[in-house]
Amino acid sequence: MNFLAASIESLGAKVVGWFTVGYAMFAFLAQAGLLLLDRTTWNRATFNVVIKQVYFTAVQILHVFLGYTLVISWLIISIILSTARDFGLTAFASEMTIRVLVLELLPFLTALFVALRSGSAINTEVALMQVNNELDALAHCKVPPMQFEFLPRLIGGVVSVVILAGLAGLLALLMGYLAIYGIGTAGFEPYTQTIAKIFDFTILAGLIVKCALFGLAVTLIPVTAGLETPKKLFMVPVSVLRGMMRVFFAIVTIEVVSLALKYV
Amino acid sequence: MAAVAALPDDVARVALELPLRANLSALDNIALIPLYQRHYDAAESTRQAQAMLDQLGYAEIALLRDPDMTPAQRFVTQLARALILKRPRLVIDRPGAMLYDVPYPAFIGQLASRADMTGTWEIYDFSWNQVLYNQALDSE
Repeated sequence: MNFLAASIESLGAKVVGWFTVGYAMFAFLAQAGLLLLDRTTWNRATFNVVIKQVYFTAVQILHVFLGYTLVISWLIISIILSTARDFGLTAFASEMTIRVLVLELLPFLTALFVALRSGSAINTEVALMQVNNELDALAHCKVPPMQFEFLPRLIGGVVSVVILAGLAGLLALLMGYLAIYGIGTAGFEPYTQTIAKIFDFTILAGLIVKCALFGLAVTLIPVTAGLETPKKLFMVPVSVLRGMMRVFFAIVTIEVVSLALKYV
Repeated sequence: MAAVAALPDDVARVALELPLRANLSALDNIALIPLYQRHYDAAESTRQAQAMLDQLGYAEIALLRDPDMTPAQRFVTQLARALILKRPRLVIDRPGAMLYDVPYPAFIGQLASRADMTGTWEIYDFSWNQVLYNQALDSE
C-alpha cells in the first residue's frame, strides 16, 4: 500500500513538474512575443546583438555545416538511387530524394547540429549567469536581460536554423540533380517539375514553420532551463543535462507531428 | 547586510553579489548602461565608458574580461559601472570582500578623489574593519 501511495505521489510530483516547466516556457515565450511587438525593443543595441547571435550560430559554422551536409546528402542520395535501381523505381528517385532529404532529414539534422553546438552553450551560459548573479546585476543597472540577453538568442536561433536548413536543402537539391542526371542540362526540366510538384504553398509554408519551431526549441528551452537553475554551481551540469534532454524531445516531437500532418 | 540589498532604486551599488558580465570586456560592461538606459549609439556609449575608465585612472583595463582582471581592476570596473548610472547615492557594500589585494580604504579614497561624482559615496563594512578606515584617515 505504501509502495502504491509513494508511486502515485512520485507520478503526481512529476506531472506537476512538467506543467510547471511547460508553463514557465510558455510564459517566457509570451513575454518575448509581447516584447517583439513593442517598438522600443527594436533599437540599434538589440539589433546588433541579434546580428552577433546569427553570426555565432550560423555564419561561424557555415563551412563545417555545409561540408557535413554535403557528405550526408551524397550518402543518402547514393543509397536512395541504388535502392531505386534495385527495385526498378528510378523514376521516383528524384522525388524520394527531395522528400527524404530536403523536407525531413536535413532540417532535423540542422536542428540537432545547432542544438548541440549553440543550445548547449546557451544553456550553460544562462545557468552560469543565474548562479553568478549576473542577471541580478543587470537588473540592478536597469539593463533588461530579456532584451539584451534572451530575445536576441531566440531570434538568432530561429533565423539561423531557417537559413541553415534552407542552404542545406539547396545543396541537397543540387547534389540530387548531379547524382541523378549528371553534369548537363538534359534533366533540368523534369527535375524542376518534380521540385515544383512537391513544393506547393502548404509544403513550403510547413517547412518554414517547422524550421522556425526547431530554431525556437533549440534556444527557448536552453534559456528557460538555464533560468531554472538553483544558485548552486554544481547544479549547472544538471541544468544543461535537463535542458538538452528537453530539446531532444521537443525536436523529435516537432518532427513526428510534422510527419503525421503530412503523411497520416 | 540585507538592508543594503534592499536599498531603493536611486542607489547605485558596488557589491560582490553584483558581478560583471563575464563574457564582456570592462568597456562593454560599462557601455551597456548608456546603450540601454539612455539609448545612445554603440560608438557614443563606448566613448562614455572609456572616459569613465580614464577618469578613474584605469584606461588600460578597457579590453579585459572579468576572469582576466585583478580584484582591484574588477572593483574599478564595477565602480565605473555604478558611476555611469548617475544615481544620487553610491553604496559600496563590504569592499573588503572584493578588494583583498590592496589596502582598500586608502584605495577607495584615491578613486573617490579622481571620480567626478555629484552624489554621495557610502561604504558599508563590518564594524571590526573600522580601524582600517581610521588608519587611512590618519595617514591623510
